[in-house]
Amino acid sequence: MLSRVAASFYWLSRYIERSDGMLRMLKINYASSQDTVQEFTWEPVMRIFAGLNAGEAEKLDNDSRSVLKYMVTGKNNPNSILNIITLARENARGVQEHITKDLWQCLNEYYHTVKDPRLERSLHREDPIGVLDVLIKQVMLYYGTVEITMERGEGRAFMNIGKYLERAIQSVDILDTKFSSISDNPDLLTDTTYWKHLLLSLGGYELYLKTYREGFEAENVLEQVVLNNDFPRSVIYSVNNIQRYFDRLKNDSNADDYREMSFQIGRLQSRIKYSSVKSIKQEGLHLFLTQIRSELYGVGNSLNQHYFANS
Amino acid sequence: MEESAYFDKYNPINNVWDEMYGLDANVREHYRKVIDYISKESADDLNKKEELAKRLFMSQGITFTVYNSGEGIEKIFPFDIIPRIITADEWAFVERGIKQRLNALNLFLKDIYHNQFIVKDGIVPIDIIYSCPHFLREMYQLQVPYDIYVHISGIDLIRDEDGTFYVLEDNLRTPSGVSYMLENREITKRLFPDLLPQCSVRSVTEYPSILYKNLLALSPRQIHNPTIVLLTPGIYNSAYFEHTTLARLMGVELVEGRDLVVNNHKVYMKTTTGLQQVDVIYRRVDDEFLDPLVFNPASMLGVAGLMGAYRKGNVAIVNATGTGVADDKAVYAYVPDMIRYYLNEEPILKNVPTHQLGNPDEREMVFKNLNKMVVKKTNGSGGYGMLMGHAASEQEIDEYKKEILKDPRNFIAQPTISLSAAPCYMQGELKPRRVDLRPYALYGPDGIEIVPGGLTRVALKEGSLVVNSSQGGGSKDTWVLA
Repeated sequence: MLSRVAASFYWLSRYIERSDGMLRMLKINYASSQDTVQEFTWEPVMRIFAGLNAGEAEKLDNDSRSVLKYMVTGKNNPNSILNIITLARENARGVQEHITKDLWQCLNEYYHTVKDPRLERSLHREDPIGVLDVLIKQVMLYYGTVEITMERGEGRAFMNIGKYLERAIQSVDILDTKFSSISDNPDLLTDTTYWKHLLLSLGGYELYLKTYREGFEAENVLEQVVLNNDFPRSVIYSVNNIQRYFDRLKNDSNADDYREMSFQIGRLQSRIKYSSVKSIKQEGLHLFLTQIRSELYGVGNSLNQHYFANS
Repeated sequence: MEESAYFDKYNPINNVWDEMYGLDANVREHYRKVIDYISKESADDLNKKEELAKRLFMSQGITFTVYNSGEGIEKIFPFDIIPRIITADEWAFVERGIKQRLNALNLFLKDIYHNQFIVKDGIVPIDIIYSCPHFLREMYQLQVPYDIYVHISGIDLIRDEDGTFYVLEDNLRTPSGVSYMLENREITKRLFPDLLPQCSVRSVTEYPSILYKNLLALSPRQIHNPTIVLLTPGIYNSAYFEHTTLARLMGVELVEGRDLVVNNHKVYMKTTTGLQQVDVIYRRVDDEFLDPLVFNPASMLGVAGLMGAYRKGNVAIVNATGTGVADDKAVYAYVPDMIRYYLNEEPILKNVPTHQLGNPDEREMVFKNLNKMVVKKTNGSGGYGMLMGHAASEQEIDEYKKEILKDPRNFIAQPTISLSAAPCYMQGELKPRRVDLRPYALYGPDGIEIVPGGLTRVALKEGSLVVNSSQGGGSKDTWVLA
């Protein structure tokens, strides 16, 4: 497979996964902004998904509508849904003869939906949850189409590596942001709605209720999001899948490249697998997450170097 | 009477050949079934079909992007739902004519890049060759596989008022539009169920397989599975959709310049497992951008060292570089002479009479009659930089004259030929609009093959004679009857 094609598969998939994470996060945050007596702050979301610092975020006045507009259809925000779907589509366009016609049409539709001026109007005037739901459906359509139509080859392996890498990075970022807010405001530690929203935005609320009977506790949340093998957005689940799909590349790889990266991913996987809530707390959550994040970035860089010929 | 309501309201243009409307004021026989078919449909139904066609183009991403104020706007190439129909006899004539012409043009290219007999014998003047920007010294004395230079060509044909076919121009570099021939047919299948077999329309689907077979035959390495690639300028190119379609239909790799490297006069593509040698390149990048070491040094679209590998015979390039010297508009005037010179035959397809403005006598004659002339740049395309004498204001003509005098070699003039008209569906009615025809010829080791069909471009504006998509043109499905 051409290196450029592999890279496009990988990025296409990362962008779509990012849009999915963002949309769900926005939806839950908007809902909770309608359900609070204190002033709701969008700052963490802006920090995670738009890389804004507190000052820049403040310019948007913390007003839900303008935040949503900035995050979904904002032309000046390089990480807005509009811009990342445009990039996803451009990547798909570059590999059009490698993806199925169904998948191309599905992405094309997603793009045209985001681009539609009516969307921006609805976001401004009507129920934003309805708008976000329309877009979330487009992502689900995408995942279904990939599942049903895409050939189980090298291309899909790169797509899955991209998807799970993006997901792992997101989960790490969200955890890091949410837990660091606690050090500023220790009251949050016992605030059940705070943890509930975190779980809802990761889609892990129901699983949490089934797993833990004693209500919302920070340690349990940490355990589920980092270490639960059955939680599809947990860090360990994502890393296991990176490992799994990287393995599929074995026969299509240069032996040295494969060995080097296989070692790197294996080390990362063990690092998480052989941790516990207790050991993480001992070494410091922030430090732990920072290390995992930099290892995840390292995997991305190695792909660039060994497979995408971007060195 | 209700039955042929569309036809009864049809108003053919005076003194113009109409593809559908016969001289006896009746539907020409080969259009009858189509007219009968649509007469059974209400205007509402036809509007729905038109809408469906638009939606199909849009959802499949058969679009080109127009960049306006920093924002890309997706547009579809306008499509008219009424097919353009060519009879078996007309086609047989066109096919013979194109084969003859292409044969001669190919021999001309071989000659001009080797011994230049045609120049030495005084048939084609040397200054016309050397002043052509597409004449490449890099091609001199280069042996190309099977002596084929023009593997893919699109010869533009038009018809004057008595229906005679003329060649308007030869496109021998990287002719585009063939994906529309294929896609338009797919859309017609959806719009008019059962109509195609009823009319015994010949299929065009063979095009990609013939092209693939020809590309395969060109591989310099005699191995069972040579690597064939289609080189595209990238996703921002207006014909990018076509490049992906062809790559997909042939099952070849679609590459960009940055995917290729040259090492030791061999071309490789960068893959996830390392470098893989490339044998045949079907390039959709113009000569000028193909190799920054030889041509435009600023080009990011090509591959450094590609021409070196080509000259060594380690890679085949399709079409060969340097073919532009044969479709130059100044050289065009000499094609009938080439046919006589190389083949000892009379040309089957006529040329439009062409005046070289580099020649002072002809220039004077043309300047006197500019309002009856079309003036073109010899290396222009896409309908840009043309002067349509009959429609231009005096001021425009004066300005254009100044432009010509700066470098007369760059201009030719032709009498205004009125293109034939075909019916188009517009807001509930059939209206005549001007059309041309571009059949696609594939030249391989087994000879020239022309898929029965082509691209019919249509000037959608009333009275317009310019069919180029950049100037408000659209396209039609083109039927060749068995």
